[in-house]
Amino acid sequence: MSAVARVDRLTKDFRVGFWRPRPHRALDALSFEIPAGGVFGLLGPNGAGKSTTLKLLLDLLRPTSGRAELLGKPSGDVQARQRLGFLPENPTFYDQLTAEELLTYFAGLFGYRGEDRGRRAAAALDQVGLDDADRRRPLRQYSKGMVQRVGIAQAIVNDPELVILDEPMSGLDPLGRREVRELIIRLRDQGRTVLFSSHILSDAETLCSGVGILAKGQLVAQGTLAELTRGGAGGAEVVVADLAQSVVDRLTGRVAKVTRIADGRYSIEIAGAARPEPLIAELAGAGATLVSVAPLRTTLEDIFMSALSKAKERGEGPERSRGAS
Amino acid sequence: MIGRSAGRIGLVAWHVFKESVRDRVLYGIAGFAVLLVAASILVGQLTAGEDIKIIKDLGLATIELAGVLMTVFIGVGLVSREIERRSIFALLAKPLPRWEFIVGKYGGLVLTIFVNLAAMTAALYLMLAYMSWGAMEVERRAWAAPATDPRLLIAVALIAAELALLTAVALFFSTFSSSALLSVALTVGLFIAGLLSHDLQHFGDIVEVPRSVATFVAAIGWSLPAFSAFSDVKNLIVQGQPVAGGYVAMTLLYAAIYSMAAIAAAVGIFSRREFK
Amino acid sequence: MSAGKTTLATLTVTVVLVGAAAGVLRARDRGYYLPEPTERLLYLRSGSTANRVFLSFDALAADIYWIRSIQNYGRDRTSDRPDRFQLLYPLLDLTTTLDPYFNIAYRFGAILLAVEEPQGPGRPDLAIKLLLKGLEKNPRWQYPYDIGFVHYWYTNDYQEAARWFERAAAMPRAPEWIRPLAAITMASGGDRQSARRMLNELLSSTEQYIRQTARRDLLKLDALDTIDRLNAVVEAFNQKNGRYPTDLDELVRARVVTSVPVDPTGEPFAYDPISHAISLSPTSKVGALPKKMNAR
Repeated sequence: MSAVARVDRLTKDFRVGFWRPRPHRALDALSFEIPAGGVFGLLGPNGAGKSTTLKLLLDLLRPTSGRAELLGKPSGDVQARQRLGFLPENPTFYDQLTAEELLTYFAGLFGYRGEDRGRRAAAALDQVGLDDADRRRPLRQYSKGMVQRVGIAQAIVNDPELVILDEPMSGLDPLGRREVRELIIRLRDQGRTVLFSSHILSDAETLCSGVGILAKGQLVAQGTLAELTRGGAGGAEVVVADLAQSVVDRLTGRVAKVTRIADGRYSIEIAGAARPEPLIAELAGAGATLVSVAPLRTTLEDIFMSALSKAKERGEGPERSRGAS
Repeated sequence: MIGRSAGRIGLVAWHVFKESVRDRVLYGIAGFAVLLVAASILVGQLTAGEDIKIIKDLGLATIELAGVLMTVFIGVGLVSREIERRSIFALLAKPLPRWEFIVGKYGGLVLTIFVNLAAMTAALYLMLAYMSWGAMEVERRAWAAPATDPRLLIAVALIAAELALLTAVALFFSTFSSSALLSVALTVGLFIAGLLSHDLQHFGDIVEVPRSVATFVAAIGWSLPAFSAFSDVKNLIVQGQPVAGGYVAMTLLYAAIYSMAAIAAAVGIFSRREFK
Repeated sequence: MSAGKTTLATLTVTVVLVGAAAGVLRARDRGYYLPEPTERLLYLRSGSTANRVFLSFDALAADIYWIRSIQNYGRDRTSDRPDRFQLLYPLLDLTTTLDPYFNIAYRFGAILLAVEEPQGPGRPDLAIKLLLKGLEKNPRWQYPYDIGFVHYWYTNDYQEAARWFERAAAMPRAPEWIRPLAAITMASGGDRQSARRMLNELLSSTEQYIRQTARRDLLKLDALDTIDRLNAVVEAFNQKNGRYPTDLDELVRARVVTSVPVDPTGEPFAYDPISHAISLSPTSKVGALPKKMNAR
């Protein structure tokens, strides 16, 4: 099996407006494949169509045209669902139920019976690190981070090959985000494919083996992180303190950019071809104190911004789809 | 295959039951019902001689009313609440076909309602037994039917059938309306229309209108869920009059078939439904 | 299965099941005769209990019982149950006990009670009882007038009718035409001419149901006139041919009449070849004809 998810010319129109409904194109002939193994991030600003894509894959929405497949089966196939897990965006479950009861219920839906059922539920809760006392409390007493962990637990209760997470980090504090990040890495290490959507790029950068960037319903970039960031600008950024103004004047023109941060504190960027060492020696000689040296490379943010601006230049927006059926 | 479906439907149903019995709304209504049944003793004392009959009447009416309230207020939230809190997304991504979800929800609510019905009926019998115990032999002989008449169970069975039908109607509206308030309004509206269905069926006999109008109104009357079909027999039982078994059986059969129709319609709508 | 097919399948199943359910219900209603739970009214029939039970909603309850009365009448009119119209009076009585000022319930209810078999229960006595109850609570000229009318039209007691018309005329705000009506009734009770005059007066009533009833009763008078004429034609046929016609078609063939005669609602008249009597067809919508209503 090569691709765990495949969408082919997937198009989705929503009807918007109450009095005079008109179609709004949320996805426009989207095509991509997600290979088995690794973590794949579906990125894009709010409203780019990330959730729509995931919901189409899961048959929660129906495509206007095109096809969506999961695990080699058309979306909505019950057998394929046996082998995947899904965490919706900002989930809330049943207030009256405890985490244990919820997980046991869902394990039953996957066909686990008897002792197996309880064991699967407990294993999934172990994975997300929910302790015994918390498991027996009703979900309405849970913090957002705990609900999110229960949400991930219910997504892996069936030991799935593919785990789909819709905005798993949204609304969480930094600690919660780190927990979710670690969970995703653990799932990957167990050999599962993880597909998640996010509008927060730093999450993707530390996790993803592959990304797809969506803007206004279209895929504007796709590849592994290495592919996308290769051939970037290079160069370095040197931050120094106690730098005299006369030295600054001397440097202007020789380096790519000098930015004043505070009195005597400057950020100096040099172009890709030059080495930073001679500059550092020169600055040290001029009596400046070295604060940091960082190599410059293309970040996901750079790719994202340039892809977005390209899409904008082409003049593509939701307005274009007006009148389409 | 069938076993698996049944297993999953059972799970959904059991979950509905479990969730409902922890719902405060349910206890509110049940508590109100028990109070009202108890209060019927007081009302019974206002009218000499007819007290047992009035307690039976009021008791059955209370049980029915409480059942209707439970059905409407829990029933319309069955699907819409799942959508509201987005648990539906996680649930439908499981290997649970949508028709099983609907049938399971129905089964669970019917189970909840029937358990409550049983409890309220037990309360009514307790009260009637107490009244009978305190009554003199002369009084007892004047009653049209014994106080703890087992035939009251037939009336309760008809209420159960009526509520099972109402549950199907509430579930049907719940599948396509996203607002719980709208679902309540639609369900209550159809319930009232159903109570009038008998009059619509015979509209032409009552009002002088062109035949085509009468036929049209009658067609609506016959296709509405006939909640009016359950009431007469209850009165007869309270009065201790004989009721043909076939009549009761056909009434139950009607409720069963019409409930299936409403569930089929709910499945049809829910299978098409998209979740933004 | 595709979404479209699922929809079609469930729609079909739904329609078939609703049809089957309606069939079961119809079979039940036809197959089983359920005794009317008369007792239901028993402990409510005393006005004081009813008022207590319905608390402040007795006017609303009266409305509901009024609607039930009409429905009960409508249902029984076309049914052949042995207890048809049995509940009509108790229902009307309860309605007017709950709301003693429910004028329509008294007056229209009285008409329903008085209508002859098979269209109604044919109980002018109960009609008058109800109107007397209304008169007690509502001293208005309409009540004695209605009582007079019931006597005139249904029991054909013209003495009584005239007496009640007199009484109506003596009441405040009674219209002018009632007094002459009393006189005519006394002088020539039971003749169609005066009946017609009276009904024509009623046509100007402000109450729609009174106008409707008057219009229907005028049709009855028309039917009686036609029957008289046809009887004459049949008799003439006998004079001429020495035998009575076998059916009304024969009159057409003999060119005595131009076509088979029909009543005011378009229904052909019935002819009994043995008694040679002309009558309304049993399916006619004109309703039962008054018994003693002479042409002159």
